[in-house]
Amino acid sequence: MRRGLMAWDQAEVPKSALEQRLAVLRAVMKDEGFDALVLYTNIARGASVWWLTGFTPYWNEGLLHVPAQGEMVFATALSKRVAEWIESVMPAGRVVTTPKPAALISAGLVKDGAKRIGVLELDDFPAGHAKIILETVPGAQLVDATFAFARVRSGSDAVERGLLLKADALARASCAAVELSTPDARAFMAPCETVARLGGAEECFALASTDLGASRAAVRTEAMGALGATFAARISLAYKGAWTRHARSFARDEKLQEAFDAAHARLMNFKPTDMLNLSAVLAKHFEGLGDLVDFTIEQPRGSYPLAAVANHAGAAEGFNPAAPFVLDVELQINGARWLGAHLVGL
Amino acid sequence: MSREASSARKAALKDAMQREKIEVLVLFGNNWHADHLRYATDFGIQEGQGIALVREDGTTTLILDDPAECERARLDGSCETIFAPGLVQEAKRQLARAGNHNIAAAPYHLLPYGLLHGEKDLRVQDGAAIIERLLMTKMEVEIAAVRQAAALADEGYAIFRQAARPGRKDYELVAEMESFFRAKGVPENFMIVGVGGQEVRGMAPPGGKILKAGDMVTTELTPCYDGYYAQICRTLVVGEPSEAQRKAFNVYLEAMIAGIAAVKTGVTAADVARAENDVFRKYGLGDYVTSEYTRVRGHGMGLFPDQKPHILEDVNIRLETGMTLIVHPNTYHPEVGYLVLGDSLVVREDGHELLCGTARELFFNPVQ
Repeated sequence: MRRGLMAWDQAEVPKSALEQRLAVLRAVMKDEGFDALVLYTNIARGASVWWLTGFTPYWNEGLLHVPAQGEMVFATALSKRVAEWIESVMPAGRVVTTPKPAALISAGLVKDGAKRIGVLELDDFPAGHAKIILETVPGAQLVDATFAFARVRSGSDAVERGLLLKADALARASCAAVELSTPDARAFMAPCETVARLGGAEECFALASTDLGASRAAVRTEAMGALGATFAARISLAYKGAWTRHARSFARDEKLQEAFDAAHARLMNFKPTDMLNLSAVLAKHFEGLGDLVDFTIEQPRGSYPLAAVANHAGAAEGFNPAAPFVLDVELQINGARWLGAHLVGL
Repeated sequence: MSREASSARKAALKDAMQREKIEVLVLFGNNWHADHLRYATDFGIQEGQGIALVREDGTTTLILDDPAECERARLDGSCETIFAPGLVQEAKRQLARAGNHNIAAAPYHLLPYGLLHGEKDLRVQDGAAIIERLLMTKMEVEIAAVRQAAALADEGYAIFRQAARPGRKDYELVAEMESFFRAKGVPENFMIVGVGGQEVRGMAPPGGKILKAGDMVTTELTPCYDGYYAQICRTLVVGEPSEAQRKAFNVYLEAMIAGIAAVKTGVTAADVARAENDVFRKYGLGDYVTSEYTRVRGHGMGLFPDQKPHILEDVNIRLETGMTLIVHPNTYHPEVGYLVLGDSLVVREDGHELLCGTARELFFNPVQ
């Protein structure tokens, strides 16, 4: 549930940048023979609609209709009074509030005579919306547009990089704000939230691996207890819709903490080189500090703000090594588990 | 309490499935609609999407498409947890392998399209009849969690009152609230705000407004405890309230009291809404209880913060003992702007059990 700062700043996200993205998308739509494209959004899967409009719903859901030409229409079940607010923070597209977004989008599709309709992540598209479109639009054919969308979305333009820079700085500051003097994991993490929100984070998930000796899993505050001998903070954060993560490990033992800090500094210096052989590259990067146990790479993918696109087993289709990515690493340092995560490639 | 509530839910779900002769119940969820998944698995999903397959014998498989979420879910260990980037394909594979015939799913309209369509179509019926009633009408062990959440909402509002000082930005208030709630172990809080005067028509996430003397600051705080949400709505004024603000507040207070007084087992959501709206109509403010100015006059709460029944004059859902609601006559007032006031409660046989303890007054913070 988004409850941090949500505001549009023309200097950060110029309308022209969104128009440019739309133009590139429309070229692909034409290439694919789509009469229209329909994208779904909610707070968990807001990345694609955000990329085109600059907006993520703070609650509820919505559908974006991208016609072959003309204005995009964002239909949402948020209440009528909220439309004015959405317009103030959504620089591209027209907002319509309606209890039935799919019915409204369908009316637009009918008006345009659309038949071949691309749907991002068709398999995951809500069945209720699909049913309405199929029943309302004569001759409608829903076509999965996931790969078509990935053709335009795999990169990261200057506007997105600018937002990511701010998100990264906030995530780092948030992670650095942990309260190390307390044995209580909740108190350890609470300042992270303050720093993130005061810095203008739209969303912040502040999780902790409270005892790295027992598990690497990062838990929410409801499951946090006492901190162990080694522990980690993991911040996932959105600034104006751009998501990143930052994670850092800590040890009660001073010497181990020094080793942890050295590994963190090395992680921060990682520059992507040979992405085809990443396991070996990472093992070498941390040589002398710790042994590589595992790693994951995340990038925005379709409607997902961050999705795992590569790990020790290889890279998934769509991974773009030239675009920024979150690198999540697990090392074994002097017999202790160490976790770190950082945005790479800005 | 978490384990106790979770076990009670699982038993209730198993009974309901047996009654309806359902072999597998497919439950879908994400961070927006986390309630169905939480009911069956006790997992509060934060990123990605998940599907739970609940079998008639009570065994459950949770499929998640985010690897870190999967690690977190496995810590609980109460059900089999599978990581699958292709969520739908994995769910279909599991269902096909079991060869089940009587499959129900919920929430039906949000189910992934790919689950219901494809080469090997699965015959899946709407599972609303099985789970919706369970989500709305709580057992005592669930009500205990809502009660805890309401106490946190009260505590939270005390922090909010202190934070709402002139010169502060609206999102700085959110920062204080979120830090407070995290320290208290609250993982989620639905919160929107409104700052200003007559021009303010509703609440939304903060946009950077700076609080100044004379502003009304509205908020609804909705923390959760063990997955259960409770809400409080209050309005405060920066500086001394004006006569118009005090007069307007009294209408909302009278309406909320009337709405709450109407609550008891057997009445409908419409009866409660009508009791609230009649007060507005009495003062010539009937236009402001329509959808032009307000969404709902209250709503259910539980594992979802905005659960059925919605308190509206055209909603004829019968209130049952154990339902947890907020009654809030929140709407726009033509003289002073958007104003909110609401308390959470439990529906009881002959009335209600009030859950919020914060004073029902128009708060104000003096301007130095």
